[in-house]
Amino acid sequence: MNTKRNTKRIFAGVAAIGLASAALAHTGATGIVKERMVAMSAMGDAVKEISPMMSGEADYDAAAVREAAEVIGMHAGETMTRLFPEDNENEASYVKDAIWEDWETFAELAERLHSYSEGLALAAENGLGSSQDGMADAGAMMGGGDMMGSGSMMGGGMMADATMGREELAEMPADAVFAMVSDTCSSCHTRFRTEAK
Amino acid sequence: MRQVLIAGTVGLTLIVGTVAATLAAWPIGREPAKIQLTGDVQRGAYLARASGCIACHTNFEDGGAPLAGGAPLVTDFGTFYPPNITTDPEHGIGGWNVEQFAMAVRQGIAPDGHAYYPAFTYPFYADFSDQDIADLWAAFQTVAPVAESAPSHEVGFPFDQRWGLKLWRAAYLDDPQTEPVEGRSDVWNRGRELVRGATHCGACHTGRNLAGGRIANAVFAGNDALPGGNKAPSILPDVLAERGWTVANLSYALQSGVTPSGDVFGGSMGEVVQYGTRYLSKDDLRAMAVYLLDSELPEEEGMAALPVSQPIYD
Repeated sequence: MNTKRNTKRIFAGVAAIGLASAALAHTGATGIVKERMVAMSAMGDAVKEISPMMSGEADYDAAAVREAAEVIGMHAGETMTRLFPEDNENEASYVKDAIWEDWETFAELAERLHSYSEGLALAAENGLGSSQDGMADAGAMMGGGDMMGSGSMMGGGMMADATMGREELAEMPADAVFAMVSDTCSSCHTRFRTEAK
Repeated sequence: MRQVLIAGTVGLTLIVGTVAATLAAWPIGREPAKIQLTGDVQRGAYLARASGCIACHTNFEDGGAPLAGGAPLVTDFGTFYPPNITTDPEHGIGGWNVEQFAMAVRQGIAPDGHAYYPAFTYPFYADFSDQDIADLWAAFQTVAPVAESAPSHEVGFPFDQRWGLKLWRAAYLDDPQTEPVEGRSDVWNRGRELVRGATHCGACHTGRNLAGGRIANAVFAGNDALPGGNKAPSILPDVLAERGWTVANLSYALQSGVTPSGDVFGGSMGEVVQYGTRYLSKDDLRAMAVYLLDSELPEEEGMAALPVSQPIYD
């Protein structure tokens, strides 16, 4: 069944690539597809603004981080999901059919992005954590000894519990919360975005 | 030239059955010496992450158990199902010994002597030390057994003829070149070891010929025909630099998935980061970036640029 689904996905993907390159991304898109490209770009710009601060390349600026987090939050959750109606306009976009086949996961990721970005806004004042090896130290790698035991590490690439509340996030270092934000982006892109442009 | 000859040979053997019989008897691989080192579970788990064992042999999207078998890999040769490599003695590798494991990982040969398809990236692991193998083995022992086999590969004729893999090995199985280069920094050499070895960047970012062999002078030049219809951009140093990658933002991208343009990886690279590189130490990620931005060019430079359209992450 997996193969069948994959094959279907490939066909859909190839079709999407063809059409997308014909439409030439941002310039060719219209209507709701264009609307969501604009929204995604706005989030991308926000990420671009603060990721060098998180990696230590740029000086940390709490206000900028809060602002960027608010931009991301503004485009997350239902604001995002309502931009993905299942209709033929999608032919000129990078979205995979999987998004409608697994709408629950998409909606959950969009909602998660919303709460994580709210958490990031709250955590902005905390600055960067001291850990030099985010995931690699703290025995977090494999849940303290046993290689692949702990469910949370293996569950779809999520770094932390999806149910983590805002209060908890507000206590965390900003870079750790930002990592949760970007992981959410990546999980969603991995599942639902055609990569080839 | 050698490749043309080999290709010709493949064609002929399809007709001449006797040659096939000879090939079937052609021994491959070298029996490894006894490995009696004590493995370190943490080091092994780290290496398993870096090497993509977990990423490939776990079907995350369908909620599969760790290492119980991965998502199918749809290729031009057929569909490959990464097998169950949990400790189950019957359906996994619980019945193996460490020497058999070493042979599988470093040489791509199963305990029963048959050659693995190169969908398994064993050519990159050829230089793993006995200690690496012992560490991996120790880590694999901590995996819960899953009593279910992954589906068999669905490969059509002639690729279902396993003896053909012996020809493939003769033609394309090359040294991964992970050993240190004199005169280069320790960081660069560590990066080389990871990039050309465990993390096997070249498996996706290098074009392949019709037989699925990596094209030697197209190393890192990109590949627009990945399994599942994905594309991998060139990661040659000048291309990376031109696209705004630096040691700092490249190592950060391998840790976080965030690119300098503010985009976040999806597709196969998203999986690579989520299930692999983000677990690596910052020192190792930095080493990978240092090497990638300064990697050796293929020998025949003029051939390096394949007509691969470059996916743009910006």
